[in-house]
Amino acid sequence: MSLLNKLRMLDAQAARPAPATPVPAKALYHGSSSVPLSTFCDRRHATPEVLASAFGLPQAPRLGPEDVLFLDTETTGLSGGVGTVAFLVGLGYFTPQGFTVEQFLMHDYPQEPELLSRVSAILRRYPALCTFNGRTFDVPLLEARLTMNRLPRQCFPPLHLDVLFPSRRLWKLRLKSCTLGNLEERLLHISREDDLPGAQVPALYFQYLKDGDFAPLERVLEHNRQDIVSLAQLFYFLCYQVNRPEAIAHGEDLLSLARAMEKRGYLPKAMKCYRLCAKGATRAPAYNALAQNAKRQGNVQAAVRLYQAMARRGDDPVEAYEALAKLYEHRLSDPGQALHYTRQALLLLSEPGLFRSEAVQNRQIALQYRYARLRRRLSSAPKR
Amino acid sequence: MNLDQLIPLLKNDRDFMSCVSHWRTLPATEGRYEPLPADMDERLRRVLRQRGIHRLYSHQAQCWKLAKESRDYVVVTPTASGKTLCYNLPVVSAILKNEESRALYLFPTKALSADQVSGLYAMIEALGVNIKAYTYDGDTQGAARKAIRQAGHIVVTNPDMLHANILPHHTKWVKLFENLQYIVVDEIHTYRGVFGSHLANVLRRLLRLCAFYGSHPRFILCSATVANPGELAGQLTGRPVTAVTENGAPMGERHFVFYNPPVVNRQLGIRRGVVGEVKRIAENLLKNEVSTIVFTKSRVQVEVITRHLKNCAPAALGSTGRVRGYRGGYLPSERRDIEHGLRDGSVNMVVSTNALELGIDIGALSACVLCGYPGTIASTWQQAGRAGRRKETALTIMVASSAPLDQYIIEHPDYFFSASPEHALVQPNNLYILLSHIKCSAYELPFDEDERFGDVTDTSQFLEYLAENNILRHLDGKYYWMEEELPSAEISLRSARTENFVIVDVTDAAHHRVIGEMDRYTVPMLLHENAIYLHDARMYQVEKLDLDHCKAFIRATDVDYYTDADLNVSLHILDDLEQKQLSNGSTLTLGELRVSTIVKMFKKFKLDTNEPVGFGEVRLPQTDLHTVGMWWTLPDAMAQRYTREQLQGGLLGVSHLLSIVAPLYLMCSPKDICVVYQVKAPITDKPTIFLYDSFPGGIGLSEKAYQMQELLLEHALSIVEGCACEEGCPSCVGPVAEVGSTGKADARALLKELLT
Repeated sequence: MSLLNKLRMLDAQAARPAPATPVPAKALYHGSSSVPLSTFCDRRHATPEVLASAFGLPQAPRLGPEDVLFLDTETTGLSGGVGTVAFLVGLGYFTPQGFTVEQFLMHDYPQEPELLSRVSAILRRYPALCTFNGRTFDVPLLEARLTMNRLPRQCFPPLHLDVLFPSRRLWKLRLKSCTLGNLEERLLHISREDDLPGAQVPALYFQYLKDGDFAPLERVLEHNRQDIVSLAQLFYFLCYQVNRPEAIAHGEDLLSLARAMEKRGYLPKAMKCYRLCAKGATRAPAYNALAQNAKRQGNVQAAVRLYQAMARRGDDPVEAYEALAKLYEHRLSDPGQALHYTRQALLLLSEPGLFRSEAVQNRQIALQYRYARLRRRLSSAPKR
Repeated sequence: MNLDQLIPLLKNDRDFMSCVSHWRTLPATEGRYEPLPADMDERLRRVLRQRGIHRLYSHQAQCWKLAKESRDYVVVTPTASGKTLCYNLPVVSAILKNEESRALYLFPTKALSADQVSGLYAMIEALGVNIKAYTYDGDTQGAARKAIRQAGHIVVTNPDMLHANILPHHTKWVKLFENLQYIVVDEIHTYRGVFGSHLANVLRRLLRLCAFYGSHPRFILCSATVANPGELAGQLTGRPVTAVTENGAPMGERHFVFYNPPVVNRQLGIRRGVVGEVKRIAENLLKNEVSTIVFTKSRVQVEVITRHLKNCAPAALGSTGRVRGYRGGYLPSERRDIEHGLRDGSVNMVVSTNALELGIDIGALSACVLCGYPGTIASTWQQAGRAGRRKETALTIMVASSAPLDQYIIEHPDYFFSASPEHALVQPNNLYILLSHIKCSAYELPFDEDERFGDVTDTSQFLEYLAENNILRHLDGKYYWMEEELPSAEISLRSARTENFVIVDVTDAAHHRVIGEMDRYTVPMLLHENAIYLHDARMYQVEKLDLDHCKAFIRATDVDYYTDADLNVSLHILDDLEQKQLSNGSTLTLGELRVSTIVKMFKKFKLDTNEPVGFGEVRLPQTDLHTVGMWWTLPDAMAQRYTREQLQGGLLGVSHLLSIVAPLYLMCSPKDICVVYQVKAPITDKPTIFLYDSFPGGIGLSEKAYQMQELLLEHALSIVEGCACEEGCPSCVGPVAEVGSTGKADARALLKELLT
């Protein structure tokens, strides 16, 4: 028996699909389309300060609206290994007339080097690249493809703005899911008609390789085009929100932005955001953050006032009482008052019916230590 | 008491000596040395001298020379002979010379790589140079991975990681592949059978990528004693490899004792149980504070013996922590803890499966007790080598079980001491394995139409087959990958199925605890529902086996029995590959088989006496194995001379004999092959005896058996004729109870007929 026949026997039950028919030779697909500028919010919000604070850059250059290249790929798989090919690369950029999307699609594998060369030629012209999850997916994938085709991989713009990470920081709290699809629906109010689920893309491409029918790929092209437009919209919407916190409607978004700014060290902006959301459901964490900041700045009185306001309103009162106890013990040297607040905190924690998680138990133990220590200090110190 | 005091005592112990069938003393040997090579970097020589190494063992010096000549070499030496220097010296010196040089180290297990890399760190630290050596395995953190890819000079990993993680993402490892100068493969004797066949193909893939990136790495391989190190290394790497086999390290005096438990029933040929004997011997060593390792053949035995020794330890030593069990299925942290305890002496008795056979550094143990013949000569020497490092006296006591192979070895010490250790067989061109790796390799880099994968001349037919199935796309002289999934994800290098099961202890409802892992292949045998599972001498009962989510839920229990699952096997012939007619009318066939196995029931045995006390049902799906086998089909004329009962007993007897003999000739472990018979085989309706490889796709054992069938039958006949039993015993045709009263005679008659 020949080896080939033996191999064929390995899975005798499996129906043998017809071997693929080569697609008749066609030039690399190159399409181009345009969207009016009115589709996008004010692009002037993408100031260096906004970019630096939103994307965590040490310093951001001044980027003109025509300096950013938007990129999204469609691939033959999601595994991210070297056997995955980006068969379609979409690029978007602004011109004075509007937003242009250029798409390159290979009709078959031998066109890959040409596709990559065309794409890298455009990449080289731009100072900044903008993607959605491109840092982990699209860019490493394209780098791998360039390496595999022995093309230089140093063609990417020096600055890479991946919108996924700041989006998560800003909207995860409220929206939970931060896929591009969900963000564009909830933030940009775009609803796609008859959109193609991304998971089906590889199968559609393989089907095209097998039967040569291009029509289903039109849906992939449209999906990719819409992704790029949404990406650009999302990017400028994000910049707008960061630049104008007072325009943010949702307390949770403000709180998220405040935390992001605080983490990145933009304190005045962070405090501004905390003050803006110091009401409603976000009041407790906002007050807490403001109080901690006052404490850090050495403004003990302000911190005490903020914690007292929290305690009075029942906003995270255990936290507030414990913080007050610490302030009175260490900063204001008033163990009597510190003991009072410690007792308040312990009283709240001892309420019946409260679920005692490990964190709660640890907190209780810490408070009890503090309580005992203060008691000792008070009994050994001369009475005031 | 030390061994030099204990050995005379043992020799005067009549009970003990009455069971000793052979006591061999191997004299101490002097080391052979050469000065530190003059062409070695001065910094390296300084560091060696600082560590008290003023000269090299002769084999280390020979390796150094071969490396200088850019030769591929394999070094074969026993444990504690300084083999790490055989590769660390050339590798480190290459990096000292050219900072861009890279090396890849492959160890068969994670534990070994962690162990070996710590020695390397020490050397690099002493050198005070910026050489980065990293382990890259499943435990490596995400952030560290990036640094390793870009800056690691020496990347230490295992074949599985290379296969599933590095090769399919090779573009992230450009620096490594472009500058790869050395590939070090340690413990190559473990790459036998399926694992070795896989590794050979993983290395073919690796070399294919090196060629793409323009590097030409050299191989340095290390092995414990096998008969054919050069051949094995050659098969694994696809290159001619020079073997360095002369050990220059000194060795202490070694005592090798063959111990055969006393016969308790001469008629049935039954001896006292091996586990009980091992318990007594180990207890004696424990009480005399001789640091000892006990090797058992199964995980259950580890637990049973550990439990016993822990129970008798408190009286003598006041601490049960000095006795530990060690086997696969314990968590890595637990194992590291035991290894550490062995090194610092806080553990002085360890009971292990062959998991500790490999070169994990466990310090100097004095004695080694083998619970049964380990199955191969190589393995036996390897396990015995665990005792007596550092030029000290060492004692190995091999306790034979009543298994026929054990009995053969114990009765023929000269065979054992004179025979070369086994050939390690690999079959890189096993159809299944090769096809899997050609797939992986096509994923990693498109194939050119006329390209060869390793030395596979039929590469194009594999590619064409994959193209027919739309896995590859054949266009313009190339084969491109055209599937969504990563092929390596579903190919495991070690067993047929990929996923491991986790073992969850649900004794405390609030705190479920993962206490171990087990490969899918072993799960039906040990973790079926209601099985008694032993872990670190504690007993658990399996409550639920969740096949879909690969979990076994167990609950602590305390019963006085253990369980043993019954494996049912059925055979189907898929294809005849070769056939010949024998002069006695029977037909000999080599072909492909499907072997279906299923566990349907288990038996319960009392813990201390091994009496059967009950059984239970198991409901699990069957597993299929496609493999290569050879079989004798007996002609009707021959069959008609026996009654059905006689045929039944005779065939069983012949199968039993063949399963004893075949491992000796095929040089494999008894579990690598299976011998079964059918009184009426389906299709032919004729009596048939099958011998097949117990690995998917086969690893070449049956082909070898097909060629030497006459030798196998002759040896089987000589055993049955030379056996002193009356009507059959476990050492020849099997117990009378199984073969029947005429079984021995019928088996003998059948063999004679097959040999005419």
